[in-house]
Order: sequence, then C-alpha cells, then structure tokens
Amino acid sequence: MVGYTVRRVIQLVFTIFALTILMFVLLKTMPGDPAVIMAGLGARLETIQGIREALGLNRPLPVQYWRFTSGLFNGRLQSMTYHKPVWTVIAERIPATLEMGFFALVIALAISIPAGLLSAIYRNSMLDYTVTTVALVGISIPVFWFALMLMLVFGVILAILPVSGRGTTVALFGSPWLRFSFVTWDGFRHLIIPSVALASVQMAMNARLTRASMLEVLRQDYVTTARAKGLKERVVLLKHAFRNALAPVVTNIGLQIGGLVAGAVLTETTTAWPGIGRLMVEAISRRDQAVVFGLAIFVAFLFQISYVTVDLLYAYIDPRITYD
Amino acid sequence: MTRSEQQARLTPQDVILTLVLPGLGHLARGWWGKALVYLSALAALGATLGLAVAKHRLAWAAGATDYWFSTAMLFLLFALTWVWSLCDLRHSIRSEAEEHYVLGYWQMAIRRFSRDPKGIAGILIILFVLHVAIFSPFLASGHSFPGVPGYVRPVQHAIQMNLRNFQAPPSAAHPLGTDNYGRDVLDRLIYGSRVALGIGFVATLLNMVFGGILGLIGGYFRGVTDAVFMRVLEIINSIPFLVLVLLVLSLWRGGGILSLMLVLGIFGLQPARIIRSEVLSVREQDFVTAARAIGVPTWRILAKYVLPNAIASLIVVTTMSIGVNIIVVAGLSFLGYGVPPPTPSWGSMLQEAQEYIRTAWWMAVYPGLCIVLTVFGFNILGDSLRDVLDPRLK
Repeated sequence: MVGYTVRRVIQLVFTIFALTILMFVLLKTMPGDPAVIMAGLGARLETIQGIREALGLNRPLPVQYWRFTSGLFNGRLQSMTYHKPVWTVIAERIPATLEMGFFALVIALAISIPAGLLSAIYRNSMLDYTVTTVALVGISIPVFWFALMLMLVFGVILAILPVSGRGTTVALFGSPWLRFSFVTWDGFRHLIIPSVALASVQMAMNARLTRASMLEVLRQDYVTTARAKGLKERVVLLKHAFRNALAPVVTNIGLQIGGLVAGAVLTETTTAWPGIGRLMVEAISRRDQAVVFGLAIFVAFLFQISYVTVDLLYAYIDPRITYD
Repeated sequence: MTRSEQQARLTPQDVILTLVLPGLGHLARGWWGKALVYLSALAALGATLGLAVAKHRLAWAAGATDYWFSTAMLFLLFALTWVWSLCDLRHSIRSEAEEHYVLGYWQMAIRRFSRDPKGIAGILIILFVLHVAIFSPFLASGHSFPGVPGYVRPVQHAIQMNLRNFQAPPSAAHPLGTDNYGRDVLDRLIYGSRVALGIGFVATLLNMVFGGILGLIGGYFRGVTDAVFMRVLEIINSIPFLVLVLLVLSLWRGGGILSLMLVLGIFGLQPARIIRSEVLSVREQDFVTAARAIGVPTWRILAKYVLPNAIASLIVVTTMSIGVNIIVVAGLSFLGYGVPPPTPSWGSMLQEAQEYIRTAWWMAVYPGLCIVLTVFGFNILGDSLRDVLDPRLK
C-alpha cells in the first residue's frame, strides 16, 4: 500500500511537470501579444516594449518557462492583467466555486442515491421507468441551458430568486479572501440557481450509477442467502445490498470532479458567478497567460489528487482490492 | 426443385408490388412491421417532395445552387428505398425458407433491438433531426418564390438581419419568434441542425479513428508504446475536456467549424481507453494465441480477430460520443469559441439569448430544446445498443 502510494505520487509529480511544458507551449503559440492587449488601443511602441520588458516577454523561451514554473511554485508569478500575484487572483475566486460545487454535490447525492436505489429495488415498475427516463434526459441537458431555464422560470417569470451574481458575501475565518455567500440569506438565494444547475448532470449520472450498482449487488449470492435465512427485506436491502452498492458510487464522486469543473465553467459564465470557471474564460479572452497557466496547473493538480484518493479509498472500502 | 426452394424465390407478384410501392411486397407476405417502416419512410420522403414542389425549391425549379444537395439527397433516398426494400424482401424470403436452429450474434442483436422501444425511439429522433438537417432549405421559410420580387433565399433568411423584426414574439409569420437581429428563430434552428450533426458526426468519426488506433496499438503491443500512450492520455485527461478544447481553440482565432471538428476529433480520446481495455482482454484469448502461433501477421490479427471483437463496445461509445460532442460544441459556442457568427448554431443562439432572457424567452427556450432532443436521441440509442450488444449486462 505504501509502495503504491509512493508510486502514484511520483507519477503525479511527473504528470504535473509534463503538463507545465504542454501548457507553456500552448500558451506561447496562442495568438495575441499580451503586451499589446495590456497597453490598450493606440499605445506607443515604447509603452508596449516597456511592458514586454517588465513581463519578461522578450527573454528566451526557456528562461520564460523557468520564470513561469518557478514563479508558480514560490508564488511570485504575477498576473498580467489583474496586477496581482496569480495565486491571489485564483484564491479570491476559489470560495465561490467551492461553495457552489459543494452544494451541487450535496443536492445531487441527496436526490440521486435514493432515486437510484428505489428504481433498482422496484425494477421495471413505473417508478423505475420514470427515474431512468428522467436520468437519461438529465444527461442530455446542457448545464448552461438548464441554468438559463432556471433563471427564466425562477428569476424572471416567478421572480422569487435573483437571476445572477453572488449577493452578499461574508469573510469567514478572518481571511480577507475567504468570502462565502451561503451564510447570508441574500447570498444563499443567489447560490440556489447555480448549484441546482450544476447538480443536474451529476444527479442524472449518479442515479444511473446507483441503480446499476444496486442491480448488480442484488444479483449476488449473498443477497439470496440473506433472504433465504429469513432476514427482513428491509435489512437485506439496507444492510447487505445498499452498503456494497454504495462503494462504486462513492469512489466515482472523485472522478466526477472533472465534470464539475467543466460544468462550473459554463454555469458560472451563465449566472455571472465569480468563481474559477469564469476566471478561466476571462483569462483566456484577456490573454493573461500567467493566470491561465496557474489555473490549469491548479485544476490538474486537484484532479490528480482526487484520482489518487479515489484509488486509495477504493482499496480501503473494498478489502479485496490490493495494489502492489 | 423442392417446395421450400420454390417458396424461397421472389415471385413476379412480389417484384411488382414492391416496385409499385416499397413495403407492399412485405405487406402481401404478412410482414407488416417492415412494411410499415418502408411505407412511412416513403411517406416522409413524399411529404418532403410535396413541400419542395409547393415551395418551388427543387433545384431545377428554383435555379439556385444551394438546393442541389437537398434535391440530390431526396432522389437518392427515394431510389434507395425502392432498391433496399426489394433486396430486403428477397433476403427475408430466403432466410425464412432456410431453417434456423441457431441465430448468429448480429441476428440476435438485431432481433433484440427491434423489440426495444428505447432504441426505436432513439432511432426515430435521430432520423427526424437528420431529415431536418438534410432538407433544411425545403423546410425553412422564405418570403416568396424565386423570381418574384422580394424573394429571399431560405439561408439568407436565417442569416440576414432585419431589425424591423427585432425580437418579435412567436406569431403566425414567425412560429418561434425572431431574435435580436430580427432573424426567424425556427429557420435558424432548422439550419443549426446541420452544424450540430455535421460537427457531431465528423468529430466523433475522428475520435474513433484516432482513439481506436491508439487503443488498438496500445492494448495489443503493451510495453513501452502502451505506457507512453497511457501517460499522454493521463496528462490530457488531467485538464477538463472543455477547458482543454477552449485553450486549443483560442489558438485558432476565427478558425470556424473546421477547426472545431479537428480539435474535438483529436483531443476526444476517451474511446482509446475503452478500446484498449477491450483489446487487452481479447488478446489473451486462445484464438489470438493460435493465430500468432501459425504465423498470421500482426496487422491481420488486429484487423481480423481483435477489432471485430471490440466492435460492439466501439459502436456504443460512438453513439454516446456523438451526443457528448454536440453538447461540447454547444458549450463552446455558448462561450464564444465555437461556431462563428452569423452561421446559425444552437449553442451560439443560446449565447445571444442569454442577454435577452428578460425580454425574449423564445430565444433561449427553443435552441436548448433542440439540443436536448438530439442528444437524448443519441443517448437512448446508445443505452439500448449497450443492452442489445452486450447480453452479459442484461
């Protein structure tokens, strides 16, 4: 187990390193000179040269790569258009995405797991058909359109929820950038539409997964045995089947972080939610190479960590699995 | 000649009936299921032909070049219906006369599929959208007939601005309203189906080619090649697909539809993993070892033994990927990195609608419904195909 963990961590470091090179090459081939964009319309050549000088854009590429990568790890890499260190720019946006993602996950799990379980238990019933159809429609709905429809229905027609933005935020833990909006009533109301929209896809996927996993377990011999020895159906379902059916669902949550981040890019853009997803789109359109670089590495790191965690968690939940 | 052999022939009656109307031959022999398929295909094509004639939009009548594709496709499909139904009738008669004790894998799959309402519904939805995409110019509205003053070509109608119609609500003239440039929403939806399906199909085809080759080679040879492929996949997978594609697309400014297809096609490597795992299990089978032992060249083993065994999962993945690609294209267009204006695409229509959500709900509702319907069609088809092609899961 320890050996496996060490191997995975080494692999992780290698992947991140390779990604820094890939991202750097991508960013440097991107059209549009950040210096020209920063200088604005009708800027003089000297101004542009000055900005290039200041950002180190006129240095050789290996030197630039070194500045980017080392700057990312010691925190000195400056954003080109936000005039702040990259990590500050990202850190300011993280709480927004974090609370949206967290609420989305909670909503998704709270609805999808019971739905998936019930539809597996009452297989081929009306309920099962409803759940599977709704789940199939759910994975076909683009999140951003769902967010738009929620805005239209609850924000415009019924006018009971705010349409966009984050509302009142409160700084928690005495940190200037850890500002959350779910603690205030106004902020919480702003949070509903984005997180429900983001939850939709996860909800559909988890319901399908739970159903499939539960069906698989119900077919196992030990469930038949449990029934045969006269246990109550409730005990069989909850104690024997449900626990074992949940393992793949729980471990899959880690793998869904990718979907959540991609969904966040679209949901945040639709609902003007100032999180890292929207920051990504902003930074790309502003040609802020430093922020795009930092954000991509950060997200990749998050992914890799969650993959490793999932693998280890899997071995923990299911004792039959051993690595090495 | 035995009795069963006599029965196993196309009779003149069969041929005549089928030539009169495809499906009649089937009907006469009591296969009304297939007859219904041919007759309804014929009805759909006939209705389209009627519409095109009524609107003076058949290529030679209109004299405009943009109808050639639809006109040609219309007559091609007509011809295909006739030929296909005749061939099918002949085939069905023969296979009925032969006595089957064991059904082949594909025969069983087709039989199961034809009894699965989910799959049929998926096929119908996809055919509907495909029909709209192929015959867009016939279906789109137009002010008047060619040659009459004030005539506007249907494509222009979906593209040209007309600010007098600014955000007109749904009415008889514009059933789904008009957008912020006064363009008919229904027309844009009709033409948008071409973009969605076109990019979806081509990108998925590229995915299958690239992913399939990588998966086949990686899974079969293993070792260093496989390790390198898997590492590359892992690196690419560590950024969300949408973000990666967004980044790469911003390299091509104004690249348009072609670069969208290429980028989605090259970077959507998920199939590689699935093919690889399939190949890994197939290559351990005895028949592959046997083939290797008698000296069958590697490419032949791959093509003849490994690929056919992986084809079932390949089909399922392909169907599902088309839906995924359509959603990703819509998302990219929504963010402004997809299909460049003024080409009508469902995603970019939603991008424009976003600003006017308070004043023009019709701009936001209908394009989304189109995306959901199309993707839903591919998803239920894929779901049904998985059930059908992989009986182990049942």
